[in-house]
Amino acid sequence: MAHPIQIPRLGWSMEEGIFIEWLKQDGDRIEPGDLLYNLEGEKAIQEIESIDAGFLRIPDNAPAEGETVLVGQVIGWLCAEDEAVPELPVTTVPAASVAPAATPAAVPANIRSAEPATRPPVSTPRARRVASELGVDWTTLTGSGRNGRIRERDVRAATSGGSPVASTADTVSESSSSVRHTIANRMLIASQTTAPVTLTTTADATQLVSLRQQFQAAAADARPPGYNDLLIKLTGIVLRNHPLLRARWTENGIEVSETIDIGLAVDTEAGLIVPVVRDPGGTPLRTLCASISDLVERGRERRLTADEMSGGAFTITNLGSFGIDAFTPILNLPQSAILGIGRIRRVPAIDGDEFVARDQLALSLTFDHRVLDGATAAAFLAELVQAIETPGAMLAG
Amino acid sequence: MTTAVTTLPEKDTLLDLYRTMQVIRQCEEELARCHQRGLVHGACHTYVGEEAIATGVCSHLDRTDVVFSTHRGHGHALAKGLEPRQLIAELFGKETGCSGGRGGSMHLFSPEIGLMGTSGIVASCILQSTGGGYTIKLAGDERVSICFFGDGAVNNGAFHEGLNMAKIWNLPVIFVCENNGFATEVPFGESSAIPDVGRRAQNYGMPGLELDGNDVLDIHEKAGEAIARARSGEGPTLIECKTYRTRTHAEGMSDFTYRTREEVEEWKKKCPILRLKNQILEQGLVETHELDTIDDEVSQLIDESRQFAEDSPWPDPASATTHVYSASSEEPAPVAEPDPGTRELNFVQATHEALSEEMAKNPRIFVMGEGIGARGGNFNTTSGLFDIYGGARLCDTPICERGFVGLGCGAAMTGSRPVIDFMFADFVNDAFGELVNQIAKMQYMSSGRLTMPILLRGCIGIGHSAATHHSGNYYPLYAHFPGFRVVVPSNAYDAKGLFRKALTCDDPVIFLEHRELLTAKTAVPEQEYEIEFGRAAVVRTGTDVTVVAIARMVHHVLEVIDELAADGISVELIDPRTVLPLDTETIRASVARTGRLLVVDETFPVAGIASQIAAVQADLGFDDLDAPIKRLHGAFTPTPYSPALESAVVPTPEMVANAVRELVAE
Repeated sequence: MAHPIQIPRLGWSMEEGIFIEWLKQDGDRIEPGDLLYNLEGEKAIQEIESIDAGFLRIPDNAPAEGETVLVGQVIGWLCAEDEAVPELPVTTVPAASVAPAATPAAVPANIRSAEPATRPPVSTPRARRVASELGVDWTTLTGSGRNGRIRERDVRAATSGGSPVASTADTVSESSSSVRHTIANRMLIASQTTAPVTLTTTADATQLVSLRQQFQAAAADARPPGYNDLLIKLTGIVLRNHPLLRARWTENGIEVSETIDIGLAVDTEAGLIVPVVRDPGGTPLRTLCASISDLVERGRERRLTADEMSGGAFTITNLGSFGIDAFTPILNLPQSAILGIGRIRRVPAIDGDEFVARDQLALSLTFDHRVLDGATAAAFLAELVQAIETPGAMLAG
Repeated sequence: MTTAVTTLPEKDTLLDLYRTMQVIRQCEEELARCHQRGLVHGACHTYVGEEAIATGVCSHLDRTDVVFSTHRGHGHALAKGLEPRQLIAELFGKETGCSGGRGGSMHLFSPEIGLMGTSGIVASCILQSTGGGYTIKLAGDERVSICFFGDGAVNNGAFHEGLNMAKIWNLPVIFVCENNGFATEVPFGESSAIPDVGRRAQNYGMPGLELDGNDVLDIHEKAGEAIARARSGEGPTLIECKTYRTRTHAEGMSDFTYRTREEVEEWKKKCPILRLKNQILEQGLVETHELDTIDDEVSQLIDESRQFAEDSPWPDPASATTHVYSASSEEPAPVAEPDPGTRELNFVQATHEALSEEMAKNPRIFVMGEGIGARGGNFNTTSGLFDIYGGARLCDTPICERGFVGLGCGAAMTGSRPVIDFMFADFVNDAFGELVNQIAKMQYMSSGRLTMPILLRGCIGIGHSAATHHSGNYYPLYAHFPGFRVVVPSNAYDAKGLFRKALTCDDPVIFLEHRELLTAKTAVPEQEYEIEFGRAAVVRTGTDVTVVAIARMVHHVLEVIDELAADGISVELIDPRTVLPLDTETIRASVARTGRLLVVDETFPVAGIASQIAAVQADLGFDDLDAPIKRLHGAFTPTPYSPALESAVVPTPEMVANAVRELVAE
């Protein structure tokens, strides 16, 4: 029986080598230990010894000198004297691949984690976070994940009509957090689906400044009411007389919100959030002040519930502390109006024949022209200006 | 009692020997008192009764000679020149102690005066001293390296490996065995058939002496001769000094369960200090009052030293984790990684290029391992370098992993930059203690006064039926220990940059090369460049799933990443490149976008790198997760040989693809 002469693996990782030359002639008598041929492995050319005895038969289609050979490839035979020379196998494959492949059943159980046990529908941490940011009640959603687990995509589908926020594969930016995605989405929709108009005016805030100073002077322990508190309160009261400013556009027509809750835009590290202050017009100033402090603080720590960020009829955004006067706030859907507060600055004003210093506050009101007209919005703004200029009367009432 | 010496030294030398022994004795007795008073917080091993040995040997040394010592090292430290107040303050745990309060009795460091350290582990100092000797040999100067060890060390493998290496490379090392008759409390006669040590030297082909360890004059003379031989290139000597400690093994322990009061009292009469005193007084070489004056001066010195230690401040608790790594590597400067260019190298060629470049620049680099000399390394890691740099810098070793890793430790401590090439990571397990007890902890123990620029490299990884003693991965193990840098590159580009970084970094680096990747080629720049440790590579960007893969598994993920993309699953692939430090920030930033995390690691899941990644993600990035964190690991089993079994214990590209699909469906 003919013994095949096969390419051995030289070294640890060799898969193929280069056949250099035969060291014996076709037909030579070979004894075990005789040097048969030279083979170049990963490191060097090596003389290959014969393991078996027989007459060397080199087929015509044996590898030529310098040809690449695979480990395990048959390159010739050692035959008995009169034995016929077998054909070389047509396809040669690396020895390692000949080994039987493990069937899936043979894979040890500990190679992968076990299937999770069956459990009631749950939500992922990310889904809950995004739900909180978008003001979505995730407990009412149907999850698309394993065992009905509610995932981020389910929450986003609930707010944006089923089109999850697209992200790009190749550009990676530091700030592409989910909060950012949410803000981007809402701003875009507000810009594209409403008819926004922005009115700007100024109010004489001298009395408001004075009022705040009196509060500050009187405050012994708790935080005295600040401008935001006072302005939210005044706005809440004025809104009572202007139903269209707290209305929303729906497919069935215009709906007016019965409650007068006001959202306050708060800048946080993660991005803009809008906690909602309940009935500021009807809440005592001290209670209101504490409530707003609490909302802002927990908002910055991302600890607000979805409820605390939903249901507002109107929104206030304040860029005064950044030195901004007038700007064009974008509507906080589905609301129809948003008030931008600018900075308060002391300016010279003419009183009779004299210049006097007055505190001036810039106001910017964006409204949805689908819902209300300019005159309606202007009337609201005018009454608000009056309220700011004589806050005592309004707060007393 | 007399001395074996016929010619006595000069009077000044006699007084110096007397004074040093008095300093050791009085300092030890003061420490014993302080231990009773509760001022010494941990162990306190005194040297009382053995003073003649450190004194006689160290009297021939200057501050550039190096001494490696053992757990009973106070006497060696003082004889080498450590101020008593630094010793006492260290045992008091004070900031002014010689190890800044990080060491205590068994970890005394003062490299400034050549005290390279005492150690709580028996026999490691023998190997480290051969490393000190190797540094001196490379530098070609006339310093000597000394180690002191007890009879307990001589039946430890380090004794055999150290003495053998010292002789075959003819290193300037003096091995001083202080045979005090007991290893802890076990009599030497019970642990050695022949309870004499000096005569063992002939088996290694070096001179061996068996001396009376309480005869300071004889030790002084014979050690002087041995040190002179070493300085002139005549190689190592083993000196056994038979002695006795007349206090307990450690302060506070009981003494008379294993030896008798009578025996201790008998040995106290052989006190080496008294013996020298009587000898030189009898011969009229000194006056009594001269010795009394020394006694008084030393007494005052020890009083002041204790007072200094008591008055010294505690170390700042906020500094408890400083000096784990060298000061130079604590704040890595961000370095831009160069464009890969078009030239392709395989993994081995890439690290070879980095090694070759650095060896040309830095004469302190030497490579040690089995077959890395003329042969060029089992994996061609040093091919051709022997012809350029010779056998001292490309040093073939006996098969004694613990020995040459311990030698590398001592060499790094003394200023060399050893590259230990252990071929297969499995082999170096024999040196585990030297790695984790010595190399990883040395910078910390020495309060940052030693740096440990040692690079340990070897192959890991399953494949080609290497079977279980040639396929271990081990990197999670090393990543557990503060002090190491653990590098596991996946391609030639990273390998060159990280290898070069390892050769310029002052911390010990464990550089593990997956054997199945050694011949894999990538584009590698010809220029010299470094890649910072602890900076992951984002191999591919994607939006749906973050996959972290280590070493060969990076390639498995790449194999299926396009197929997954075709199915609408966009994978972001991250290669940590180093597992200590581990760049979890890059991973978290990725998960913040994708919401899903899969870690693919060839090695075991238990206490692994993936566990760490998952824990950090769950801790700091919980709200970013839109699915459970998944891990895909190799099987928890030693590596089998048969290809059919072997392929069943490693994750395959198909398994990676399935794991990604399953994760997306979560």
